[in-house]
Amino acid sequence: MFIDIDCAQEKKYNQNTYGDYFLSKRYPQSGDLIAVLSDGLGSGIKANILATMTATMLLKFVEAGADIKTACEVIMNSLPVCKVRKISYSTFSVAHCSEDGEVRIVEEGNPNFVYISGNNVVEPPYTVIDSDTFTNRHMRVYKLQLKLGDRLIFCSDGVTQAGLGSPELKLGLRRSGLIRFLLEKINDTPDISSSELAKFVVRVALNTEADRKAKDDTSCCVIYYREPRRALIFTGPPYHQEKDNEYAHEFYNSDAKKAICGGTTANLISRELNIPVYNNVRSVGKLPAVSQMEGVDLVTEGILTLTKTYEYLENGFNDKEKNAAYDLMQFLLSSDCIEFMVGAKLNQAHYDPNLPIEIEIRKNIIKKMAKILENKYIKKVTVRYI
Amino acid sequence: MKKTVVKICMGTTCFVMGASELQELEEIIPKKFGNSVDIQGVTCLDYCSSCSEAQAPYVLVDDEVINKATIEKVMEAIERKLNNGQE
Ligand code: FES
Repeated sequence: MFIDIDCAQEKKYNQNTYGDYFLSKRYPQSGDLIAVLSDGLGSGIKANILATMTATMLLKFVEAGADIKTACEVIMNSLPVCKVRKISYSTFSVAHCSEDGEVRIVEEGNPNFVYISGNNVVEPPYTVIDSDTFTNRHMRVYKLQLKLGDRLIFCSDGVTQAGLGSPELKLGLRRSGLIRFLLEKINDTPDISSSELAKFVVRVALNTEADRKAKDDTSCCVIYYREPRRALIFTGPPYHQEKDNEYAHEFYNSDAKKAICGGTTANLISRELNIPVYNNVRSVGKLPAVSQMEGVDLVTEGILTLTKTYEYLENGFNDKEKNAAYDLMQFLLSSDCIEFMVGAKLNQAHYDPNLPIEIEIRKNIIKKMAKILENKYIKKVTVRYI
Repeated sequence: MKKTVVKICMGTTCFVMGASELQELEEIIPKKFGNSVDIQGVTCLDYCSSCSEAQAPYVLVDDEVINKATIEKVMEAIERKLNNGQE
């Protein structure tokens, strides 16, 4: 199963930074994912630093091999207490999810998460661990087994307390109000992505406020177990030409969404499988236009388009016209698992000093791209050199 | 009469060496020659590696290879072709 995760946030009205902090990391080797949502005391910079610190420490701890229960216990016992308000510096929720659906969760101070399976809310059992050092501090520990289609929704108290004190909602939206909205939304759009659902929750919270201004930092993180959307990108001719046919078939027969990046690569597949490619003379912006081939979702030029796409992934799309690199970026971002088949044959002509621009080596640009897709966009990426 | 086919290489090498400037041919050619000439974009024709990348961009007018192609050179070549055809 694929773990679709995203977080949406709104900062407290009139503050210039977020007092909640969300952090997540995927570990491609084990297929695990760790997510942390922390709410720092107060708002603004101070809260931001507290939340960031808590979340980062937790993640580093777990990364270093501690199980989350132990890691959380250490943090719970050591987080200082605010001298003025006598409450913890920050609260947190941590989820350690594996691909097979096993999820371990620890919460300290944040509102209880919501577990939705099908169209029902499940209230799973938990154990409570009290802090050795602070009497009023304890954490809830869960161990769950999720199925395909299940969701977990985590929020900061900005969500559950939205609307607090208003004539209609004296106690705010509360968890029950949140659940009502969630079930309705999931009923309407059962396949809604984590990113959309998280945004929806934050919108609901804002709409609940009388003047639509967040009274507290408001965050929602959604974890959704679903069938992965796969993408396969073929770029560059294989090193051994006699394997062209084999790879062309493998590519074409895959049930993933498909893209070809490279004119020569497109020709090769067209030749091996006897499917015509239609090329355009037009270029858009500074890139050759996309071509068409039956059965392939996107066909672009190679190295220039890849280089540009990487730039967009890094800095965001900022050109006037939607070019081939924009299409490729959309293609990548709308998938969860991305596999690159990278032909290792070099195109000598690209490395001539006479060319007016410097052209990157395909392997390098793919490496960089894989990294940014993994780290910034939390995709699962595999690269295969052929 | 058989149509003349113009193939403009849109491969990476040709593109960075100036093929993007050639896209205007898509408008100029029909204006001048009506529909007696077909125009297509193609992927790397392999001349960049087998001949020389310094000679890119490449354009094919039927079977004639034009290197360091410019709009003028391509138009000339087409004219030559059409005139020969008439003789
Ligand atoms: S890119 Fe035009 S011949 Fe290779």
